[in-house]
Amino acid sequence: MLTLQLLVNGVALGAAYALCALGFVLVLNATGAVNFAQGDMVMAGGFVAIGLANLWPVPGLVLLPAVVLLTGLLGLAFSAIGYFPLKSRPPVSVFISTIALGVIFQNVAMVTFGPEPRATPPLLAAGNIDVGGLTIGIQAIAVVAIAALLVAGQHVLLMRTRLGQSLRATAQDREMAAALGIRVNLMIALTFALAAALAGVAGLLLANTYFITPTDGTNYILKAYIAATIGGWGRLHGAIAGAMLIAVFEIMFPALPLLVPFLPAAIHGMFSQTSASIVLYVALLAVLFLRPQGLFGEIAQRRA
Amino acid sequence: MRYSWLTGLMALLMLSPVHAEQSAPVDVSIPVLVPITGFLSLEGTSQRNGAVLAIRNAPPNLRVQYDVVDTGVSPEGAVNALERALDRGSVTAVVASMLGTQMLAMLPIVLERKVPLVTVSGTAQITEMGNPYVFRFFPGDDVTKVAHVRYAVEELGLRRLALVYQTTAYGQSGRRHIVENLAKHGLAPVFEEALEVQVRDMLPVLSKAKAANPDGILIHLHSGPTALFIRQAAAMGVGIPIVAGSAMHQPPTAALLEPEELRGVCAEANASPVSGGTPEMERFLQQYRETFGVEPDGFALGQYDGTMMVLEAVSKGARTPAEVARALAGMRYDGVAMTYKSDGRGNMAHSAVIMCFDGRTRVPKVVKRYDNITGALTP
Repeated sequence: MLTLQLLVNGVALGAAYALCALGFVLVLNATGAVNFAQGDMVMAGGFVAIGLANLWPVPGLVLLPAVVLLTGLLGLAFSAIGYFPLKSRPPVSVFISTIALGVIFQNVAMVTFGPEPRATPPLLAAGNIDVGGLTIGIQAIAVVAIAALLVAGQHVLLMRTRLGQSLRATAQDREMAAALGIRVNLMIALTFALAAALAGVAGLLLANTYFITPTDGTNYILKAYIAATIGGWGRLHGAIAGAMLIAVFEIMFPALPLLVPFLPAAIHGMFSQTSASIVLYVALLAVLFLRPQGLFGEIAQRRA
Repeated sequence: MRYSWLTGLMALLMLSPVHAEQSAPVDVSIPVLVPITGFLSLEGTSQRNGAVLAIRNAPPNLRVQYDVVDTGVSPEGAVNALERALDRGSVTAVVASMLGTQMLAMLPIVLERKVPLVTVSGTAQITEMGNPYVFRFFPGDDVTKVAHVRYAVEELGLRRLALVYQTTAYGQSGRRHIVENLAKHGLAPVFEEALEVQVRDMLPVLSKAKAANPDGILIHLHSGPTALFIRQAAAMGVGIPIVAGSAMHQPPTAALLEPEELRGVCAEANASPVSGGTPEMERFLQQYRETFGVEPDGFALGQYDGTMMVLEAVSKGARTPAEVARALAGMRYDGVAMTYKSDGRGNMAHSAVIMCFDGRTRVPKVVKRYDNITGALTP
């Protein structure tokens, strides 16, 4: 029963990580640049939701479209300030500009909302439901459902629509896409908007259960980066799988002494949430050494 | 002739020391160097607010200048801020970051420049280095953890305690003192684990703690993790008392939780300003709310009392930073939270309170007060 409980928590956390990682990979593919502000976009989404909830105290699900819209607009502005003026410069310029914009986001959130942790309203309602002895948060179910819908929607958008074809063409080869008449800059701007909207939703989802502070973005970008590396640099489904693996690992590893009865008591102390971080980063190094293309293979041409 | 005689008499009166003391305010400069950004921004903002409120309430014979500088959370940020402040001119005292690593980096500088640092940092080491220019107005772990453990053991009668703490210096220091104090009662934790600040899901640690069959849980975590832990414990129906560290007394921490989730949770701190209790506390509470539009916590109150003590020392005649340091080292001061007096090492606060939540509101009630734990207030 505990295994299932941990798995449910891991999947809910992983679903939100996946939205952040997806946006990270979308921008990576479209521009070849690592957007280090993607975690701060998650934070921004959380605070946008909190700001909206202060004005209009309704469930998070009602706020969701507004969060998507506002963070999408933020993504457009982000591309206009942080990417387009620097796109012909060396990649490190964009890399630095995303860090700078992330710090600006943090400080704007700090000045506007203060430093204290805050929570977004629940998507539907607070509380838990009991399913055969398994306590599942209503928010956790809603998070998984919303994330699954968004991932599916994003898949349909990219694979089944003309806009998606243009976005993919831009991601695969910008020069060729331009030669074919695709408005590459518009596609890149839309990619930033989509990535920011996904991160914004992740912020709305995560901040109810895990709260949000202006400096939380750093943690989320690390998770997105690791997910993209483990899943395969540039692979969308790899990023989702990577995010899920990270979240489930983070939650299951410290509980191994309870899950694996034959583990000697003398080594129980080795299984903590702190050691989980160490093992996670060791695994990341192992992937980089042994399978640098990630679990699903690498498609991005350039690694930052 | 008569006119010039009168003029001369007036000039003489104006220059006399008596006149100067009565009318010319004494200039005081107190830079406020605190972490307003970074992971300690919540506590740093409280520190700033407490200091600023005290400066606004300065005795009328003082003219106080202050700049608030964000130190971030890096030692070099604090050192740069301190050196810039000291280089700018005559500084009376410095309100210094509550972050232990920043304080440790600043200590050699103030030892050389002979300027007192007034802080609410909980890191024990800062007052263990023989530096006569550091004054801590928040009870250290040697005080609060005594209250933490005594309340759990003596008042709640708990014997099998699980301990969950943070991996940070704050967490490690708290853990050491909790374990030492449990040992004084002949006890040891039945389970203990350290958590990183970034840990999001508390289910694993709670499951492991529960498996050790404790009769109570002591936690010593920062604000967000404290709220996450208590929320998850409520969701799991852990059903045993939780006695938390001082982060739980901060109103923003309680604001993250439903009152029902807080039922039966207790916490230690230097004070619980939102609980009121004395006319001085009620006045502080009202003024703080009016000035900053938020609820005060014990860090704000500790820094308020500390800054007020500096101002009182100057008001009573201390002029140079060294004189202020000597006054702080020797004075006894009745603040809003408690009576302060140095133990000879700069530890000024020797009392702690335990507050508990009743499950109906987010405002805790002070249920136990532990005064003069170190004995430093005993004449």
